[in-house]
Amino acid sequence: MIIRLELLRVWRSRRPLLTGFSLLFFLMLMLLGFYTYARTETGGDVDFRYTYENESYFNGLTFALYAFYFGFLLILPIFAATEGGAQIAGDTASRTLNLYLSRPLTRSRIFFTKFTIAACGAALVVGFFLAISLALGLFTVGWGDLRIYPGVLQMTSRPQALSQDEALFRFFLAWPTATLALLTPLSLSFLLSSWAKSPINAVGISFALYLMLYVIAEIHFFRELRPWLFTSSMSYWRGLFQEEIPWKTMGQEAAKLCGFTALFLALAFRRFRTREER
Amino acid sequence: MTVPLIQIEELTRRFGKRTALDQLGLHVGSGEIVGLVGPNGSGKTTLLKMMAGFLKPTRGRISLFGLNPYTQRAAVMEQARFAFAPPPLFESLTAREHVKHLTRIRRREMPRVSPADIDQALVRVGLFHRQHDKVKTFSFGMRQRLTLALALLPKPRLLVLDEPTDGLDPLAILELRSVLKDLRRETGITILLSSHLLVEVDELVDRMLVLSEGKRIFLGTPDELCSGTEILELNTSDLDGAFSLLEKAHMNPQRRKNRIQLPLDSITLQEIIKLLTPAGIDVLEFHKKRPGLEEALLARLRHESNARESAEIAG
Repeated sequence: MIIRLELLRVWRSRRPLLTGFSLLFFLMLMLLGFYTYARTETGGDVDFRYTYENESYFNGLTFALYAFYFGFLLILPIFAATEGGAQIAGDTASRTLNLYLSRPLTRSRIFFTKFTIAACGAALVVGFFLAISLALGLFTVGWGDLRIYPGVLQMTSRPQALSQDEALFRFFLAWPTATLALLTPLSLSFLLSSWAKSPINAVGISFALYLMLYVIAEIHFFRELRPWLFTSSMSYWRGLFQEEIPWKTMGQEAAKLCGFTALFLALAFRRFRTREER
Repeated sequence: MTVPLIQIEELTRRFGKRTALDQLGLHVGSGEIVGLVGPNGSGKTTLLKMMAGFLKPTRGRISLFGLNPYTQRAAVMEQARFAFAPPPLFESLTAREHVKHLTRIRRREMPRVSPADIDQALVRVGLFHRQHDKVKTFSFGMRQRLTLALALLPKPRLLVLDEPTDGLDPLAILELRSVLKDLRRETGITILLSSHLLVEVDELVDRMLVLSEGKRIFLGTPDELCSGTEILELNTSDLDGAFSLLEKAHMNPQRRKNRIQLPLDSITLQEIIKLLTPAGIDVLEFHKKRPGLEEALLARLRHESNARESAEIAG
C-alpha cells in the first residue's frame, strides 16, 4: 500500500512537527503584537487578563480571527508550497521515484496518492492552526462575542457582531472552506514539482509565483486582472464571518478556485504521466 | 515458438544530437543470464532505463514478456525487478520497512509476501541483523544489499541488476554470485546483469552484450569473445625498432614489458617476419596467447575505436 508508505515517510520527515512549531511561533508573535497594540494604541482601555465574559472588542475570538487571517495570507501557502514541491520533485531529486516506478504501480496512482496525502496534510494544518488559535485566544485573552469593525481585515463595511456560539460555528466552517482555498496553491506547487528536478526550485518558484499573484490581486492598479487570478478568490472564506453569510458569492469564488485547482492538477498530471525519468 | 522474454529490435535513443543507443538488437530467452558490459557512456544505463520504461525509444522496438515497457510499465513490473545503481532508497526508513512496504505494492494476482519471506530475503543478503536500522546509517555496500533484497521479492521472472557488485566487499561479491546462481537453479529466473567487474560476468553469464558508444560490438559467450581476439606475443632483437615498423604497418602493436603483442585476427607470423627481416630485426621468441576476458574486451574495444577513427578520417 503506497499510501501507508507515503504517510510513514511524511511522519519520519518531521515536516508535520516543524510545521506545528512554526505555526505556534507565529501565534506567539501575533499574541505579542496584540498585547503591544492594546497597550500602545488603546491607551490601556483593554484588559487582556483571562475574562471569559469579556465583551470588549479584543477577545480570544478576535485574536483567533486576526491570527488565522494573516496566517492564511502568507504562512499557510508557504506550507502548501513546501509540501507540494517536496512531493514529486523531492522524489525525482533523490531518485526514490524510481523505487515506485520499478514496482507494479501506475503513474496515476503515484500522483494521486501524493496529492491526497498533501491535501490531507493541508486540511490538518488548517484545522490545527484554527484550533490552536482558538485555544490560545481562550487561555490567554478570553472569549466573548465576535465583534468586527471596518478596518484592517476588510471583512465588513459596517460594524457586525456574532454571538460566541455562532462565531465558533463559523470558525468550524472556515476549516473546510479555507482548506479548499489552500488546495489551489498546493496544486500549483504540484504542477511545478512535476516539472522541476529539484524540490528547492519547485518550492521557491511556487511560493514566488503565489506572492506575485497575491500582490497583483491586492494592488488597485491591477483591478482588471483580479477576476483572472486565483489569489483574488483565496480569502473567500472571510464571508463566513459576516452576519449574513453571502453563500452565493462564496459558492462562485469556491467554484473558481476548484476550477484553478483542477486545471493545475490536470496539467501536472499530464506532465507527470508523459515525462521521462532520465 | 516461444516469445523471448526480452525482445529488442533496431532500438535507438537520442538525447539531442547525441545518440546514446544505436540500432541495438537483442533477444533474451527464459532462464538465461546475460551480462551487459561496456565503458562509461556506452549506453548501458540508457538501455536499462528503456527496459524499465523510464525512457521512450527514439526508434525501434523493445518488449519485455511481449509488453511495451514505456506504455505498459506497471504490467511489466509485475514480473520484472530492477535494481538501479546507485541504490535509491528512503533515508528515514529502516531496511525492514523498505522491504515490507515496497513489496506490498502489488497487483491482486501477484503472490503475497509474508513476514517469513521478508526475513528470508534479509538473511539472504546479510542484512537481517540490521533490519531495524534506518537506511541513512547504511554504507554503500549495505544499500546495494538492500536493493537486492527488494529485487528478490516477490519472486520475479526477470531480474535486472545495474552494477550490483559496486561497493561490495569480496565476501559479499561471492555471496551475491551464489545467490544469483541459486536463484537461477531454483526458479529458472532470467537475469540481465550490467557490471564493470569482468570476473563477475565471466563467472555468471551465459552470454554477454558489449556496447561501445551506443553500438553493439559483441554478443555471444565469454569464450567466443576470447577466441576471436587471440594475441601473438613477440620478443625481437630490437623491440623499439620492431614496434615502430609494426605501428607504421597499422598492425596495432601493444608494448607489454619486454614483449610486443599483436592481434592475431588478420595478421600472420610470416607477414611480420617479412616486415622485420629487411630491417635487420630478428624474431627471437613468439607464442600465441589466448587472452583473458578483460584483455579480449579491451582488444575488442580498441579495435572498434580504431575502426571508428579510420572511418571518421576517411569520411
